[in-house]
Parts: sequence; structure tokens; C-alpha cells
Amino acid sequence: MEPHKIHIKLAHCILTSLIELKTARLKEVQSKLKDMAYRSSQAIRESRRYQIALEKGWFCAARSVINKVGRDMHDFSCYLSRFIELLNREDVPVPTLSDIVSELHQIEQEFAQFNFDLAQKTISVITRPIVLDGVGFGPFEIKLLLDEYNQFYRDRPYQVIALDPKPAASDENVTHPHVSHDRLCEGQGCTAIGSALEQGRLCDFFMLVIGILETYNPDSPYVALGDWEGYTCYDCGRTIGSDDGYYCECCDNEFCGQCSTYCQTCDTTICLGCAYECPCCGQPVCHHCTAKCKDCQETFCKDCLTNGLCQTCEEMRKDEEYDEKPEPNPAIQPDSVG
Amino acid sequence: MRILYINNDGAGFADYLDIAENTTVEQFFKIKMSGAQPSDYLIRVNRQPVPKDYVLQANDRITITPTKVEGARF
Repeated sequence: MEPHKIHIKLAHCILTSLIELKTARLKEVQSKLKDMAYRSSQAIRESRRYQIALEKGWFCAARSVINKVGRDMHDFSCYLSRFIELLNREDVPVPTLSDIVSELHQIEQEFAQFNFDLAQKTISVITRPIVLDGVGFGPFEIKLLLDEYNQFYRDRPYQVIALDPKPAASDENVTHPHVSHDRLCEGQGCTAIGSALEQGRLCDFFMLVIGILETYNPDSPYVALGDWEGYTCYDCGRTIGSDDGYYCECCDNEFCGQCSTYCQTCDTTICLGCAYECPCCGQPVCHHCTAKCKDCQETFCKDCLTNGLCQTCEEMRKDEEYDEKPEPNPAIQPDSVG
Repeated sequence: MRILYINNDGAGFADYLDIAENTTVEQFFKIKMSGAQPSDYLIRVNRQPVPKDYVLQANDRITITPTKVEGARF
């Protein structure tokens, strides 16, 4: 199909969505108005109940009505302020078909790589490889989903897809400090992106998204740049810097400082899962430095075994030896006795 | 002289403005984006990049879009 025909067809899709969006916005006002009418009728009903309670001298009932009205009025005031906000929202003019076609032309001029897919109803722009403070994330595809454009107030109709993903070590779904599960957290750009999409200013939308991708906000990333290339602790899942991890020689995994220790006998680094706590001295040891007591078969650190026996068994043996020792024969007296 | 000004910084509003005749893009930027650096923005007039001494004309459409926008996490 000729390019200008694709432009017109895509522009028509966008225009239809923007008209649906405008209709949805007007329907929202209608729905809120109905709700306001219902809440007002509830207040009239409570007023009648209160009047009856007063006339009959039912003071407890009157108090109960007052309490309910107090709660309802609090809800009502919150609801009213949101409703006023909705009414004061400026009417967004729907762009003309030629405006949208001009937007598509501008996208072609501004961005080196783009894709207009009429079958999938998507408009994509591919960014340059993104590098933030020396950390590379590869190029991203910003894909505007025209089928979801009219759902704009519920969910943003676009995805930010890493084409050569270099996800964070701690979470493979985080492909950029501000992108998770192909969704961009817009931060400061939220209102401007919303306005651009609402007004059909597609080129501004793509520029703003690229602006966010090319900027690092250290105050609120999904994963901080400093933790990007670190390891994930095999036990607790925390991200650890590449130089801050502890390798367990028993299970061949990386751990953070809190999930690792060292063998008190041979000084080897081990994780808490592989460490064995000697029941005698209570110190962690690796499995190479443990042995079973010959008598009770319980495992101890080698330092707590004497001649293959734990302290308890050794003492028991000593006691037994003492008990088995033959008592001296009173008939035979040592020399010079008696 | 009336122009359409689209500011993508902050709220991202679009509005018609009256400006003096012979106002250049550079002068307009200084008035509207006081204290900001032009290098941190993409400035387009009628969807095209223009030199800073371009003199704005009636009915021009000028957009100013920041190149650095701080994202966040949800």
C-alpha cells in the first residue's frame, strides 16, 4: 500500500479513538450526575427520618441519623470536589484528520527508525541505544497501540519494549530504571504525556517518552543504576554489588553478607543454609569440618571431638571406666599397713 | 500577532498567545522558559526545527519539549 494511504488509514483509526475518548469523557459526567442525584435523594430521606425522630421524641434514633448524615456528608464533600474537578476539566478539541496525518509525517522526519503497522494498528518509534551514567540498556521500541487508545483514561495505550534487553540482576522484568513489564513510569512527564495523547500530538508523545528513557531519576527507580549489574542473593533475593557478594563453596551460589558466614574451623565462606551449627560450641562450620561422635553418632565440629568422642560421651566413658575399676582388696594391704 | 504555543514542560498545555511582531524563537524561549537552557529542549516551529533567529509569524505553531524528563516508579 502507498505510504500516504497508510498515513490516512492510521490517522482515521486515531481520530476514531479520540472521538470515542471524548464520548467516554462526556459519559463520565453523565454517570457522575446520576450519582449526585442519588446522593441528594438520600439526604432528603435522612432529613425526613430525622424530623420523625424529633417529633416522636426518639432522641437515640435522632442521634443515629445525625451520625449517619455526618459520615455521608464527609463522603459527599470528597465526591463533590472530584466532580467539580471533572466539570472544570478543559474541553479537549479533537484534532482534524489532516492534523494527525501531519503528526505522522513529523514522526517520519524526527525519528530515524519508526514503523507504521496498519495490520496490527500500531505506531512504533525505535530509540537509539540508551546509556545512563555508563550503564547501557540497548534500544527501546515505543509502541503505541491504537486499539487501546480509547481506553486511555484507564490505562496508557503504549508499551516500552527493550529490543536488546539488559535487565536488572535482581528483576528480569525491569529493563530500564523506569521501565517494568514493558510499562514506563512517567514520573514528571505524566501530565505532559497525558495531554499529548489526549490531543493526538503523537510526535510530542514519542519525544517525551524518549526524554524519560534518556534521563535517570535516582530518587525513584525500580532498580538503582548502582545495583543494576550486581548479583542477586540466592537466599533473600536482595541485589548485591558485584564486589559485595559472598560465594558459598558448598552450594556454588552467591549470597549477601547477611545470608552468609564463615566456618569457624577452616575459615571458608559458606551460606547460612550450608553452615552447620555445632550443638556443643554453637559455632557455624562447613560440612568438611564436622564429624560424628563414635558413641552417640551426633554431628559436631571437629574441634569439639576428642578422640572421636563428644564432650558428653567422653565424660560418660570416663565415668564408666571409673565405675569398672576394681576396688582394692582389703585382705591385701600395702606394705607397712597394719 | 497570534501563535499557537505548545509547552510540553510540566502540564503540557497548548494555547493561543499574542506576541509582539518580529519576535525571534530565541526571544520567545527566554520569555516563556525563563532560566531554562535551550539545549535541554527540542523546539519546533510548524513541526520543523528552526534556527534561533527565526522570526515567528502569525499562526505559527511552536512546540517546546524537554529532552530530560525524570521518570519514577509506580
